[in-house]
Amino acid sequence: MLRCSGLSKSFEKELFSNFDLELEPGEIIAITGPSGCGKTTLLRCICGLEKPDSGEIYLNDENIGNTETELRGVGMIFQKPVLFPHLSVQGNLRLGDKTGDIEKALLEVGLADFEQRNVASLSGGEGQRVALARALLAEPKVLLLDEPFSSLDEDLAMKLVKDVRAILKQRECPAILVTHNKRVAEEFADSVISM
Amino acid sequence: MLEMKFKFSNSCAVLAYTLLVILPLWLALDRLIWVAGPNPIDWLSSLERNYIAQGVVQFTFIQALLSTLATLAIGLPIAWQLGRYKWPLQSLTKAILTMPFVMPSIVAAMGFLHIVGRAGLNIRIDESTWFLTLIIAHAWFNMALVIRFCEPVISTLDPRLEEQMRLLPAGSNKIRRFRNLWAPLLAPSIAAAACMTFVFSFTSFALVRWITLGENTLESVMAGIGSSAGIKGYMVSRNEIVLGSSMIQFTILLLSLVLMSWLQQKRQSLLPQVSEDIVKKSNPRGWYVIGPGLIFALSPLIAVFGASFRIRNTDSSGTNYTWETSGWEYAFTSSSSMTSAWDALYNSLGYAALTLIIAVPLGWILAQTILDLEEFNPKMARALDVLTMLPFAISSVMIGLGVMLGMIKIDAEFFYSFWPTPALAHVMITTPFVVRIMLPALRSIDPSYDECGRTLGIPKWKRFIQIQLPMLRGSILVAVIFTLAMSLGEFGASWVVTRNSDWTTLPVMIDSLKSIPYNNSLTAPAACAVSSVLMGITLLLFTWAEKFRPARDGGMF
Repeated sequence: MLRCSGLSKSFEKELFSNFDLELEPGEIIAITGPSGCGKTTLLRCICGLEKPDSGEIYLNDENIGNTETELRGVGMIFQKPVLFPHLSVQGNLRLGDKTGDIEKALLEVGLADFEQRNVASLSGGEGQRVALARALLAEPKVLLLDEPFSSLDEDLAMKLVKDVRAILKQRECPAILVTHNKRVAEEFADSVISM
Repeated sequence: MLEMKFKFSNSCAVLAYTLLVILPLWLALDRLIWVAGPNPIDWLSSLERNYIAQGVVQFTFIQALLSTLATLAIGLPIAWQLGRYKWPLQSLTKAILTMPFVMPSIVAAMGFLHIVGRAGLNIRIDESTWFLTLIIAHAWFNMALVIRFCEPVISTLDPRLEEQMRLLPAGSNKIRRFRNLWAPLLAPSIAAAACMTFVFSFTSFALVRWITLGENTLESVMAGIGSSAGIKGYMVSRNEIVLGSSMIQFTILLLSLVLMSWLQQKRQSLLPQVSEDIVKKSNPRGWYVIGPGLIFALSPLIAVFGASFRIRNTDSSGTNYTWETSGWEYAFTSSSSMTSAWDALYNSLGYAALTLIIAVPLGWILAQTILDLEEFNPKMARALDVLTMLPFAISSVMIGLGVMLGMIKIDAEFFYSFWPTPALAHVMITTPFVVRIMLPALRSIDPSYDECGRTLGIPKWKRFIQIQLPMLRGSILVAVIFTLAMSLGEFGASWVVTRNSDWTTLPVMIDSLKSIPYNNSLTAPAACAVSSVLMGITLLLFTWAEKFRPARDGGMF
């Protein structure tokens, strides 16, 4: 499904070197490690927002190393939900799929009747759910999650961890979560890798 | 491939900016030096050698200095009252008090001439009042700068700072609190406003030309003699005067801008800010300041509009006045000696539209280029940033001379028959302002929005339309309105460029009408009628722009 081999990246210091990763269809893995170890950069390399210094990235046996981010079919949820302030919840979701079933997508993430809500009025957890619904509407081949639960309080984070995992498993959507929280990693993923 | 296209558009913008803005100024300078010689000492000494320019440097400095002091004296109490206290119709009150700054200078000149003229205070016959009128007119024009720079600091400063100060010996009374809290906090804003006021007063043209007849600033001297410059062997001293004046102006403006930029950075030293609602209290006695402020801001405009209907009739029994619309009819009817206001309006709107079409996209792409370069090549970004600010250090008359000497004199026959020529001067003036409006707006967009759009598979052009464009909507509209207003009201450069052509703009027409000998009783009301049209359009644009201005905007735009 997704295979990274020999990925290396350094900015002022080396972040990771010869990093290998394999993700099977429907599999969810978590990558843990301390702050600044390059977890986020690894995800940004996989989705094409950063270029690795060396290494290959294959998605369904196709080398996507030189493919533009928007053409890779890799979705990403950022640490803080990136919701476009000039659009309503519905408008934000339409960016994922113009003709998709918004009502169903919101229902799936537990936000029924939120279509017309202003994104500024959403709580942190609601914002992440909207970002998840939008990412799923785009039907990514792989979903990357960059510490999306870290800014939430523990109870809410654990609830969201369970909900998101259930949704991804139901859709058989493969996903990679990066987090510094081992408990979240174990609860969310099928397997955990340390960086 | 996408990256290549992007770099191509950046290069195109830099090339277009160089060709449209830098090249004419360079060619004009080259032509002037070719005629006058390369010695700057000769240029400067010609200002005192030649009777045309004698005393001009002193007059320019003194009037700019006194205008700055008067502006602070009038603007600061108003800014304090607006910032500290609640007012009914607060945004309207603020809009009226800051509106003079966007008014075309020729309209302000007309307004003050009527206030001090026969129908008003009737002090114009005493020549000794002219200088004071000029200072007050400059204060009217620039008080908005003091309000815009100082009021946001006053209105959003955390009140706990003052509460804490009251509990300390250093803040035990109002004077001490002002000295130890407000003065140091407001000093950078006051100094920045003073800097800008000095710059605008130093380069004042229309107000000087009409209010202090016979006196000249460096700006008006250059405008007056510029048309005979640039011809080899002909009136060489005039070329020296233009070069000497430009050199002094450029130095003063550049120094002021550097100082202003440094002060702006100091202003941004994170003051603890809170919502205006927490800071502001009611103060009924404040009307003693705001009331006269409102009257001061509105009276020149009301005077202009009123004077457009006031017709002087002179017969054997003496002079009397009647209220009629014949001034408007005269303005809007063409004659063999005078263009119709319709033609001037058509030209002004045409030049404004052309300026808009060129300056806004050009300024926007230049701002984007600076932003892109900041990531890959910070030194080049800084160089381009400075280059786009260069026209700020050049007055409008100098820009007009740049177009005339740099372009028109290359092929006068072609450029004087080429209708868009004056728009080039407007593009040179407005593009740097567009860059200054768009750059902070582009900087304020979190890059994660674009990154998120990319991970959602949205192509570049769609991200531009669906994400970037809506987020920049307010700033784009402010840039559009500002460009339109500046182009419509532009006088100095247009006057220099169009004086030998048939392309009359509204401000130039007002000037032409005022220049007609006094015996025609309709010319003054007609000038006021055209001023009223210009004033109306500017007011409409200003009110529209105010709707999109960010709430805590502390700058002049």
